[in-house]
Amino acid sequence: MNSLIVLVPGLPVLSAILTHLLAPRAGRGVARISVGFALLTFLSAGALLVLAVMGEPNQAVSLDRDWGIILFDPLSSLMALVISGISLIVHLYSVRYMAEETGYARFFVMLDFMTAALLLMVAAGDLITLLISWHIIGVMLYFLLGQDTQSQTAYRYGLWTFITYRIGDIPLVLAAVVLFHAYGTWSLPVIFEQLGANPDAETFFGLPVAEAVGALVAMAAFARSAQFLLHIWLPYTMEGPTPVSALMHAGIVNSGGFLINRFAPLYIHTGDVLHWVFVVGLFTAVIGSVLMLSQNDVKKSLGYSTMGQMGFMIMECGVGAFSLAIFHLIAHGLFKGTMFLSAGGVIGEARRDDGVPKDDLYTFVVEREAPKVQQPLLVMVGITLVIPILVLVLTHWWVAPDLYQRQGAIILLFFGWVTGAQLLFSTYHMKAANPWRLLGLILFSFVVVVVGYTLISHAFDQFLYNDHEFASQLYRAAGIDIVWFDTLVVLTTIIVVLGWVRAYRVEKLGSHIDQKPSHWWMNFYSLIAREFYIIDFYSGLSRRLLAASARLNVWLRWG
Amino acid sequence: MTDLSVLLIAIFLPVFPLSIGFNALFSRIRQPSLRAVMLLGWPLIGISLYRLLEPQVPGWLVPAALATAVFYGFRSLSMREVGIWTGFIATSIWACLWLPLVYGDRDVILYVAWFGVPLAILALLVGGLEKRYGAAYSELYGGLAQTIPRFSGIFVVTLLAIMATPVFPAFFGMLSILVASKPAVAFTLASLWVLWSWAGMRLIQGMIVGNAPDDVIEDTPLALTWGFAALMLVMIIAGFALTEEF
Repeated sequence: MNSLIVLVPGLPVLSAILTHLLAPRAGRGVARISVGFALLTFLSAGALLVLAVMGEPNQAVSLDRDWGIILFDPLSSLMALVISGISLIVHLYSVRYMAEETGYARFFVMLDFMTAALLLMVAAGDLITLLISWHIIGVMLYFLLGQDTQSQTAYRYGLWTFITYRIGDIPLVLAAVVLFHAYGTWSLPVIFEQLGANPDAETFFGLPVAEAVGALVAMAAFARSAQFLLHIWLPYTMEGPTPVSALMHAGIVNSGGFLINRFAPLYIHTGDVLHWVFVVGLFTAVIGSVLMLSQNDVKKSLGYSTMGQMGFMIMECGVGAFSLAIFHLIAHGLFKGTMFLSAGGVIGEARRDDGVPKDDLYTFVVEREAPKVQQPLLVMVGITLVIPILVLVLTHWWVAPDLYQRQGAIILLFFGWVTGAQLLFSTYHMKAANPWRLLGLILFSFVVVVVGYTLISHAFDQFLYNDHEFASQLYRAAGIDIVWFDTLVVLTTIIVVLGWVRAYRVEKLGSHIDQKPSHWWMNFYSLIAREFYIIDFYSGLSRRLLAASARLNVWLRWG
Repeated sequence: MTDLSVLLIAIFLPVFPLSIGFNALFSRIRQPSLRAVMLLGWPLIGISLYRLLEPQVPGWLVPAALATAVFYGFRSLSMREVGIWTGFIATSIWACLWLPLVYGDRDVILYVAWFGVPLAILALLVGGLEKRYGAAYSELYGGLAQTIPRFSGIFVVTLLAIMATPVFPAFFGMLSILVASKPAVAFTLASLWVLWSWAGMRLIQGMIVGNAPDDVIEDTPLALTWGFAALMLVMIIAGFALTEEF
């Protein structure tokens, strides 16, 4: 068992070393070694997950010191399988995709090191191992993005990523320092045990340890998961090879959600931190989605789409739905990884034949053609508002009747309801021969998605946090005063409904209103078109800093 | 009144403006091996003097040393001459040595080895660049990754070691100084660490990236590359072994 725990992060390291050593003899065939080891790693991670599902107790393998601990628990085993699986796919894809590139063997060596660092991160049982893997991921990503050593642009944007990651390292380093000062150990299980025994412990400036560390860990997670103001690197790092983009969007960017989950035993003792996590996540989700919709560059649009999804994942942590965030990051990772890896094939197909079926969906989404005969609006409104909420409530009640005691669950249900209602209401606009059949099909898909999502997320909850009291504590830590909560829910509902009413007015009155975009709207549009001027700000700042540094060197040229 | 011995030590564990002496001397020495010796020996003189004279360290010294470290780290951002860059980063690192000395850390000599060996190697690499190209200047020729790949590999790994990247021993050195520090100092140190990373990566970009010039340039011999790899491996293992007390 212990060998298996060490084998999972160890195999990719061995693979990297062998690939490098055998590259001069094996030539391009050296990729087979790397792929073989990736497969072995995946199988080993799969075996670990099977053991975890079968109820094998948590274990730790350590060096003969306070650090160098590798954990085996449900979270590490699940994440190890996901990472090794995505890594295996990326390895297989790269064998042919990278065949024409220079530095073929180097690419596989770095891919193996990156896989090892990611696997070490999810299994890290102490702060030093976590810091080591966290830091190495940033360095490896920089060199993977700069695989083409002739491309200045790739390196330029790679540097943005690297610097953002390093800035995000600062709070994690400080969190480690605070924890070591407070408990005199690097071991995470020991720290969490001591924290549980004395949750009100204080640190520097009389700050509560849990709150201070919770905030610092969240900040580190924000940088890694491209939260607003620390997100620029994500949409702009498309110059690297496609397999690296896939790995980045499917795996690396999810580190933030993982980190918050790893520190879950700390977050149950925090008060306000999770609220801020929610606010940052919500803001990022909205901004990311808005910027995604306004891009005309497909790759940047994908980058902002990931940003929005990461915002949603962080938001889920903010409402206490930690296991749901893990499910989300896995689902999004697989989805986004597939998109990147299939991009080349899709482009190739489209060059031969656009293959777009001129069906109802096409006419609605692309041609924006409205149906000639529409169903009665009030009937549609009734159906679209009532059915989603019924489906969501019944499904959740089925898996956990007490779920409605948790504010976080209510918030997620609320989002589900808004999404479902909008989805169903879209049939009102769609041109279809049989609208009721279309509505039925959409409804069926919605039920399948909600039931699947609810069951899987419930299964994740049971697997990752099978202590029911612990999971409830997470939701309690994320909860707010009931009056505030109700006020916010009512307020948000009013905003959403007002949005729907406006959409209805625009639909009904058509061209009679808002012919010309207002001045306010145009300003807002330019703000979005320039991506809130954040890139301009950072570029300007770094140029000024470099200029100041150069001026200092001229003034003090003697030493 | 400040003990004069502190000022004397501040020449060797450089604190601005006394740091100017080290950098002026370092930039005038053209011999790579002499530079390497200076990079290893200079802070050792400072530490030896500290232990010999046991001065009363004034309250302003730690902030001044930290400010010096940040100042030279910041200056290294735009320095394109690799030799002078090495001097700036060395000044920034050696100024930080005041912290473990003040904290009473017995292993300060080890920090000199952890940071000093890669710095000394970099000084030798600068010599190699000057021999091949006539100058060691960032963004002047570029494309080293294609022209002299083995040399580039050594150059990149050396810079990563200087930037205290894990698993190089300097990483553990930084961690142990951070752990012993108060929050404001720890924050400054962590930010300084980012500054070193930024400066280091800019240098890497300026040297190894870009289109290769047409000239045929001799790469580092394979045996020497293996020697370098062995040295780094020894340093990493030693770093691990010495973190037992962590």
